[in-house]
Amino acid sequence: MAGLELKNLSKAYGQTEVLHDINLSIADGEFIVFVGPSGCGKSTLLRMIAGLEEITGGELTIGGTRANALSPKQRDIAMVFQSYALYPQMTVAENMGFSLSLERKSKAEIAEKVQEAADALQLGPYLDRKPGQLSGGQRQRVAIGRAIVRKPKVFLLDEPLSNLDAALRSETRVEISELHQRVETTMIYVTYDQVEAMTMADRIVVLNGGYIEQVGSPMDLYNNPASEFVAGFIGSPKMNFITGPHAQVVDAATMGVRPEHFDIGPADDAWSGKVTLVERLGHDTVLYVNVAGAGSLTVNLSGQHDQRVGDTVHLKPRPEFIHKFDQNGRPLSV
Amino acid sequence: MARKWLLLFVLGVIAVLMAAPLVLTVFTSLKPTTELVNPAWYPPQELTFDHYVRVWTDGGFSGYFVNTLIISVVDAIVMILIASLAAYAMVFMEFRGKMLLQLLFVLGLMIPVTAVVLPLFQIVRSLGLLNSHLGVIFADLALAVSVFVFMFTSYFAGVPKALHEAARIDGATEFQIYRRVVMPIATPAVVTTALLEFLWSWNDLLLRLLLMTRDEMRTLSVGLLNFQGTMTRDVTGLSSGTAIMAIPVVLLFLVFQRSFVRGMTAGAVK
Repeated sequence: MAGLELKNLSKAYGQTEVLHDINLSIADGEFIVFVGPSGCGKSTLLRMIAGLEEITGGELTIGGTRANALSPKQRDIAMVFQSYALYPQMTVAENMGFSLSLERKSKAEIAEKVQEAADALQLGPYLDRKPGQLSGGQRQRVAIGRAIVRKPKVFLLDEPLSNLDAALRSETRVEISELHQRVETTMIYVTYDQVEAMTMADRIVVLNGGYIEQVGSPMDLYNNPASEFVAGFIGSPKMNFITGPHAQVVDAATMGVRPEHFDIGPADDAWSGKVTLVERLGHDTVLYVNVAGAGSLTVNLSGQHDQRVGDTVHLKPRPEFIHKFDQNGRPLSV
Repeated sequence: MARKWLLLFVLGVIAVLMAAPLVLTVFTSLKPTTELVNPAWYPPQELTFDHYVRVWTDGGFSGYFVNTLIISVVDAIVMILIASLAAYAMVFMEFRGKMLLQLLFVLGLMIPVTAVVLPLFQIVRSLGLLNSHLGVIFADLALAVSVFVFMFTSYFAGVPKALHEAARIDGATEFQIYRRVVMPIATPAVVTTALLEFLWSWNDLLLRLLLMTRDEMRTLSVGLLNFQGTMTRDVTGLSSGTAIMAIPVVLLFLVFQRSFVRGMTAGAVK
């Protein structure tokens, strides 16, 4: 187990810099999630930590040791790839034991450690199968098993759930969280999915355009976003951004209201609009309401409601949850 | 349905055209000399293996066969090693001069053998390797390596980069990744290289004629010339010698047909 320090880390391909001045401290045993839209540099940053991409500038330390020039092996990290990257010619047991065989461990020791990891991941019955004979979920578990069998200092997971269907995703999400609690090893997890980030992370690192936008706990990011970008990225359905006269009333260039922070009430002192779409989820009802001067707003009502398309509703944002941003998308004090 | 029959007919005609020379050669090689007056496409009335025995013993084919086998097998094995290692470096590694090396290999594809045969002869002679297996093997490898590097490169390009990266994370060296991860999944390319290089080496005449002048070093293709004079031709000797030369190649293709086709199409369908 080890903590990591990223000091002024940068990455450039030729003249083009894709990651700029990344500073981050990751505590020993922490579950950190890098999240951001496609192309924001999150996978590149993970690959720099893994040693698969050269670090152009700055310093990376793992467990107190400068790791810039160390090979992936010397960094003592394990990585789970988006595509699983299992060796197709090897059985599940051989895949999981490959790193140990390279360390010239005895066959008995390899078998014991592989069995231990397989038991933890319910892979026991599949040890003699080849990856081609497994389902997507089983392959993903083998990829995780290959990582845990080595007991590395740091686990790196690069969008490990993106090839799984929705049901399997949430199941595997829980398994990874439980695994982290069990092994208590530092985990760095990359995803574009803010739901994964919110549900799994101790702390989330939001990246945008090669810069860190904000680092904080999931609730910190949800309640106190450091920018309009973070406010829009964290939370589902995403935050409504309202400009124009409604924003001017609260002295902001942009006003942000989360869909769950609207009340529906009487016409007086409220924003009136027509319902254009209704999504009934059972536990929640999501309305899309067209409000004059504010555009299309998403409203998330708890429980089941009987509004229909074409109905007129009167919305009132709860004042204590209104987020205010200046012209540059930076927050104004509430 | 009509299309299917037409296709079968066309394929049948092509198959007959391809098989005819081989069948006629086998017929002739098994006929007693007295039956040679009959048309070549007449099957032998009475089977004889005398010509095979004569060619194998008096014709020196037993020695030529061993020479050919040594050169072809070594050629195939060394070619697999050299070409796959070079292709591995091209696909999975970054190094200075990579582009230049790739250009050189492309150049190797474009230059015809006949254009370099004289300089090659001089090089082999200056190395003191004339009339040795090693001299021919060097020349064979040098002339064909570009083709097989190209083939392995196409195949390796289809191997997901993540596999290479996963193996690096697992702690494997480049050579361990080559040997334990990449080569085991490159079987079709290995089989194709082995077969093609073996075949080219087995059938080549020009280099062997040039680089092996002593009788005891000759190969089968050169040995066949013994049965053809300026004025005369030993038809049965030539036929049975050709059959001896063709049989191993046909057998190899029959056994490895499937892998061979997969290897040949690997770059195209990846």
